Amino acid sequence: MIEVHDVRKQFGAVQALGGVSFTARDGQITALLGPNGAGKTTLLRTLVGLLKRDHGSILVGGVDPEKDPMAVRRNIGFLTDQFGLYERLTTREYLNYFGQLNDMDRATLRRRIGEVSELLGMDDILERPTKGFSQGQRIKVALARTLLHRPRHLLLDEPSRGLDVMSTRALRTALHALREDGCCVIMATHVMQEVTALCEDVIVIAKGHTVAQGSPAELCRRTGIDSLEDAFVNLVGTEEGIA
Amino acid sequence: MTSKIWIVFLKELRETLREKRTLALLLLFTLMYPAIIGYVLNQGIERSTRTEREGIELAIIGGAQAPTLVSQLRQKSITVNEVAPMSDAAIGALLHARKTVAVLRLSSDFVENYAAMRPARIEMWFDSAAENNAQRRELEETLQAYGANIASARLLAHGVSPAALSPIQVQRYDTGTNASRSAMFIGGIIGVLFFPAFMLTMSAAVDSTAGERERRSLEVLMAQPVRTWELVCGKWLAASMPAVVGVTFELILAHLILRWLPLEEIGMSWSLGWGEMLLVCLATLPLSLLSGALYIALAMNAKSFKEAQTILSFVMIVPLVPGFVVGMLELKTATWMYLVPTLSNHTLLKELAKSSELGATPFVLTFFSSLIPALLVVAFASWRMKSERYVLAV
Repeated sequence: MIEVHDVRKQFGAVQALGGVSFTARDGQITALLGPNGAGKTTLLRTLVGLLKRDHGSILVGGVDPEKDPMAVRRNIGFLTDQFGLYERLTTREYLNYFGQLNDMDRATLRRRIGEVSELLGMDDILERPTKGFSQGQRIKVALARTLLHRPRHLLLDEPSRGLDVMSTRALRTALHALREDGCCVIMATHVMQEVTALCEDVIVIAKGHTVAQGSPAELCRRTGIDSLEDAFVNLVGTEEGIA
Repeated sequence: MTSKIWIVFLKELRETLREKRTLALLLLFTLMYPAIIGYVLNQGIERSTRTEREGIELAIIGGAQAPTLVSQLRQKSITVNEVAPMSDAAIGALLHARKTVAVLRLSSDFVENYAAMRPARIEMWFDSAAENNAQRRELEETLQAYGANIASARLLAHGVSPAALSPIQVQRYDTGTNASRSAMFIGGIIGVLFFPAFMLTMSAAVDSTAGERERRSLEVLMAQPVRTWELVCGKWLAASMPAVVGVTFELILAHLILRWLPLEEIGMSWSLGWGEMLLVCLATLPLSLLSGALYIALAMNAKSFKEAQTILSFVMIVPLVPGFVVGMLELKTATWMYLVPTLSNHTLLKELAKSSELGATPFVLTFFSSLIPALLVVAFASWRMKSERYVLAV
């Protein structure tokens, strides 16, 4: 469970987060919606303890990332919006590296690499150096990395971008499996279909503020608009939010 | 649980070792400087010992006309070869072969002029481009001595003291001996042995910081349950490794070469034993660590590989400065020199080459003069990586 209460963050004169509050429950996939520049990246970085908040409280599985960032990070799988692989390492070596950084022992690692590789359908690229991987293959490797150490919390920033149909299905399977396991998944995305199909809960943020939280159906009901996309635009406040 | 530093270290090292360019550079620097030093010194030794080893080869045309001269030349252990008359071009070709120091040609009227006490002409053909000045000078001196002898004998026959011909007497003392020049030379040249410490760390340091930032993999890494100082330390040690290995091998190789060369021929010494050499290697380890730390701290702030390389290529010149300044000002070795990285290593090796009675202080000072700044720089880099401004720019 991730509980965020009135978190604010200022960089110089820029108010990146002006008061974000929400609760992401275990066993649910929570969508994080917001136009570009709404503060999603800042929020995610604050959740893993890379940035310190100016105000408010955060609890990730009951632990404050500012007090014990290592404990929080051990329990988080973080997929950033942009990421690079290590071109001179093979997929397996890449996964081994991050597994070891997350205190996994050799035997567990070998077993888990087998499991995530099967889940994401990436056996064919396991022993290949990651140089020259397609966007889909890269995302798979990165996803495998976030799932590897069985974190209770997943922060995924646009995990479906660049994926072909097969890979999108693999991702969906993975997300379902995580939900079954009772993980708490926060997924930033711009694809409304994905939200409708996958997410129980939606957080809408705009200009550093939480504008709304609720299930897709609730958001539609509250705004009186049938389509989630239109409801989202309405919540964000059209022009100024999107600009 | 394995230490996180070790995990990061191994991963960075593995990546570095997979890059062929780094390995080629490592091999090049390990072999290049000892080879250059060995070659240059060997040339010096060869040049200064050539006279006594090879003697002087001289060709003479018409030597039968001056048997006394020929025998006097032979007394000076000059090998005199009687050759048949030849054309100017043939003489040129003979000299060009570099076997013969000079060709003496006695004109056909030599005996006639000699008997008539007119100056009898001896042509001396030589190649000034050939490196045999010392041998030629010896030859000329022998010829002059021969001439002076005859003049003295003639004067005596006329009842005049030969001393009347020498109103002054010049005695030459050359203090710039070959030996002192070579000692200065070797003192300067062994400084280059430490430069690879600053070259071999560069690519790994840039790749694991600015490169990682450019490829956008740093944010993910920083979000792992690893403390920033552990990350920085792992990267620092991995980046320093090529230099640690390269410089150690290079010093050992240079030691082998310098021990093998007959340096006493040019009045120099290399009086280090293996024990001292290993101590030098040990005292030099922190130099590689310092360069790795400096490059990591600088490169991590660059946004791209290219930017980092530009910055570092300026910084690479800095270690050359102390040695250069000291060389220019011709300063005497002083204790403070052991406190300046690179200069301290250079001075340590230079002084050890002269005499082994140094004591422990120079070793200890050399070791810590690099290690302490290295640790401070690493601490700074860790603090910097942890700062929000850095996280935001990643």
